[in-house]
Amino acid sequence: MIPEVLYFYVLSILMIISAASIIAAPKMYLSVGSLFLLICFSSLLYLNLNAGYIALFQFLLCGLCLFVYIFLLLKKIGRLNLRLKLVSKIKIIYSASAVLLLSCLCCLFFKEEFTNSLFDIFNFVTVKTSDVVDFGAHILPLHLIFILVLISAVVIRVFLLSLDRKEQILSEKSVKEHTNSD
Amino acid sequence: MINNIFNIGLMHYLILSLILFSIGLFGVLISRNLLRIVMSIFVITISVVINFLVFGCYCDSSLDNANIISIFVLLITTLQTIIAVVILYKIYKTNEFLDSEKIKDKEN
Repeated sequence: MIPEVLYFYVLSILMIISAASIIAAPKMYLSVGSLFLLICFSSLLYLNLNAGYIALFQFLLCGLCLFVYIFLLLKKIGRLNLRLKLVSKIKIIYSASAVLLLSCLCCLFFKEEFTNSLFDIFNFVTVKTSDVVDFGAHILPLHLIFILVLISAVVIRVFLLSLDRKEQILSEKSVKEHTNSD
Repeated sequence: MINNIFNIGLMHYLILSLILFSIGLFGVLISRNLLRIVMSIFVITISVVINFLVFGCYCDSSLDNANIISIFVLLITTLQTIIAVVILYKIYKTNEFLDSEKIKDKEN
């Protein structure tokens, strides 16, 4: 068995590298590949937090469905080899300094507030709600919601396709009318 | 100091989550490609889910609240990403590019 410390640090480093390569990869297919790797590594990290169900859920929904969807769409429009384009250097410097400032403020917040007020607030919330919520009882309604969402997605997709066809027919008609009038 | 490094706790996960959040935010700010911006938002979501699960693991003994909230967050974000990608596809079909600055120039 891998010790917990090693497991955490290795996964953290891999996640940070893959997250950085999403925004800095020179080609688009590398960026999409790093998104898939990030999803896999974060799923592994969830296992360490006793959340196996979430890990499996994320891997199936995001890792397989979303990744394949984005990849196929990029392949369809022929933009897998799209180069990295960033904003101007001044904007990059400004945004880097803003993000650094935000990170420093967050670290200060953790350091000053965490052991006192924030921890108490979260303890209060969880103690108040943990005896009411039963995860097992929520699985069936959750799956019903998933099915409803999927059905509504299919209906919206069909609706969009029918709109596309109508637009096509209208544009063809207008082109024909133009040619007839000429 | 060394004890803090080797005893993995809530703080370590929070710092990891903060780093991922910062990378995602940085990606949103500096990318010109709309698809990269959508993927950066997904990185931010992953950091949020880690936060929920960590608080659930270390503060809630039953873990149920965190799991349910995380499932909803993941589901909503995935659907949001799919809808965003479909909208980007439509933008690409009309404009032939996915560059945010070019789209802004075209609107002006």
